[in-house]
Amino acid sequence: MRIRQEVFFALELPYRERLVLERTIYQGGGGPRVAVVSGIHGDELEGLFVCHRLAASLERLGKERPDALLGQVELYPALNPLGLDTLQRAMPIYGVDLNRNFPGHRAGLLPHRVADAAMRALAGASLVVDIHASNIYLREIPQVRIAKAFEATLLRLARDMNLDLIWVHGAATVLENTIAHSLNTIGTPCLVVEMGVGMRVTPVFAEQVVIGILHAWQALGVLAEDLEIEPNAHAPLIAHDGNVHYLNAEVSGLFVPSAAHWMALGKGQLLGRIVSPLRGEVLAEVRSPVEGVLFTLREYPLVYEGSLLARIMETQR
Amino acid sequence: MNEAERSAYDGGERVLLHMTAPSREDFDVPYHDLGPQHEAPMLALVAGVHGDELNGVFVLSRLASFLRKVVAGERAGATLLRRVLVVPAVNVLGVNTRSRNWPFDGTDVNRMFPGYDGGETTQRIAAALLELTTAARWRIDIHSSNVDFEELPQVRLYAPSGEEREAARWLGLPAVVERPATPPFHATLASAWRERGGGALVIQAGYAGSMQPLHCERLFRALVDFFERAGLLIGVRLAEPEEDVHFFGPRHSFPIISEHAGWFVSRLEVGQWLQAGEMVGTIYDGFSGELRSEVHTPISGLVSGIRRQPLLCEGDLVARILSRQEVGDVADTYLMGHGQ
Repeated sequence: MRIRQEVFFALELPYRERLVLERTIYQGGGGPRVAVVSGIHGDELEGLFVCHRLAASLERLGKERPDALLGQVELYPALNPLGLDTLQRAMPIYGVDLNRNFPGHRAGLLPHRVADAAMRALAGASLVVDIHASNIYLREIPQVRIAKAFEATLLRLARDMNLDLIWVHGAATVLENTIAHSLNTIGTPCLVVEMGVGMRVTPVFAEQVVIGILHAWQALGVLAEDLEIEPNAHAPLIAHDGNVHYLNAEVSGLFVPSAAHWMALGKGQLLGRIVSPLRGEVLAEVRSPVEGVLFTLREYPLVYEGSLLARIMETQR
Repeated sequence: MNEAERSAYDGGERVLLHMTAPSREDFDVPYHDLGPQHEAPMLALVAGVHGDELNGVFVLSRLASFLRKVVAGERAGATLLRRVLVVPAVNVLGVNTRSRNWPFDGTDVNRMFPGYDGGETTQRIAAALLELTTAARWRIDIHSSNVDFEELPQVRLYAPSGEEREAARWLGLPAVVERPATPPFHATLASAWRERGGGALVIQAGYAGSMQPLHCERLFRALVDFFERAGLLIGVRLAEPEEDVHFFGPRHSFPIISEHAGWFVSRLEVGQWLQAGEMVGTIYDGFSGELRSEVHTPISGLVSGIRRQPLLCEGDLVARILSRQEVGDVADTYLMGHGQ
């Protein structure tokens, strides 16, 4: 097994420094090539930790069973390093969401050039996993999100990835310029994993997703069939636009949850309250409209009218 | 509006949306509803979808003041014939906190259309704005690029109809630029208007983060011209010379991109015409102060935009030239997604 850390994109900044994007490549046999990308949003750190844990697994494999890496693994932990290093979700300087600038352009602005470099690097891979950590407002159970248009290819790949949920969603125009949409459009399968919450690391979720990714790589022939991997402990529920319920705040205030994340809920069960910081008043009670499971829960307490508080997947009809 | 209607008229101030806030008083997104109230609106004017684009906010507030005086009979001989909606600032909290996006969650309101009245805060704002303005025969959304780049006051059309091309001419601005309706344009207010039929125009003028009075004056004049030519207003003639209006197709826009980083300095003004080879600006090394390169335009044309931010990354846009020849490439399609 050959391991190399290399620069795959560099660009001059105004005052002496360069913006440098790095990847680590684990090269085994001539089998399939797979990749993991994260850190497209500078406030999402969960994927960086998953990359670290995958790197540790591969480096251990290199010592104990180097023959078991039949293909090539590429880790791209930080596609937006300026955002990560300055605690900004968007790309600093431009203030734009990098994940709305794909497939990019070689002769465009910095975000377009980064997107273009990532597309060139990843095109042709047998599987790309793009790891997100929601944002600073919401906590997500480990899940894969699949656009309906790519369901036939991606659902099969996602089923055995040790996730709790697979959400097959309809087309949204704002998603057309994401890395996942752009890669899937050119025939490179890309799964979007959402897990945890922005600006934090959730080790238990990371370990769960690492096991799932290793199984996916084994199924693709990147890892030897006889390599022992900890068994999957999670089987996904299948969510779709028809069974996912959004709970948005009907009043502004402070949201205090009374239900736990990934908890089964009865119809009408209390999820939390929106309270006034100025008075002892409860402004609203938030209750589940259905029997289901709470897979998204608000982490950041302050809410405006319309702020998303929770998503529930209905389990009984 | 007759005398009885005029006396019953309340000044036209309305509320598009009323919202509570977590720890301060409730807030509104207000607008002006001017002219005959018994008919459907003929025109909707919108600005301040981005909270840092101040030219449009100021011009629409001044225009509302002017139209109120017309309606009140304080402008002798002038009559507002048709109903007009004016929303000076959609992103009210963004204006007050000098933020381009919705300040609470950082979302770009102009990527939230068509919106959803039961959704996120900015989706609710988008849905309410779209519902209000869709009823108008003509709609104009006014923008100001971003804080780094100054745009010549111009009309932007996206895959337009013949009527939209004609209406763009009524504004009398020096450039009308056609763009393809590619993904950077999707989810914008103008795109949602297009999908619902009727006319939709986008205006770009100046740069964000501050106000440029000369651009504002030109914009004000352009809107009054539009009112007059669209048959909304009679009895007002602003004593300014007519300007030539130049039309530029989707492939007539040429971005000048720098392949050097450093300090960019330019004495150019938007609206100048350049010959191929003329200087656009100079780039200095930010540390040594040495000249790194001179930037020259490879083509002749109208300077429709110039960089005002000196800090320059490799690959940054320093100017945009509108040419009479086909010169653009696909890169410009992406660049156009910025500042709108």
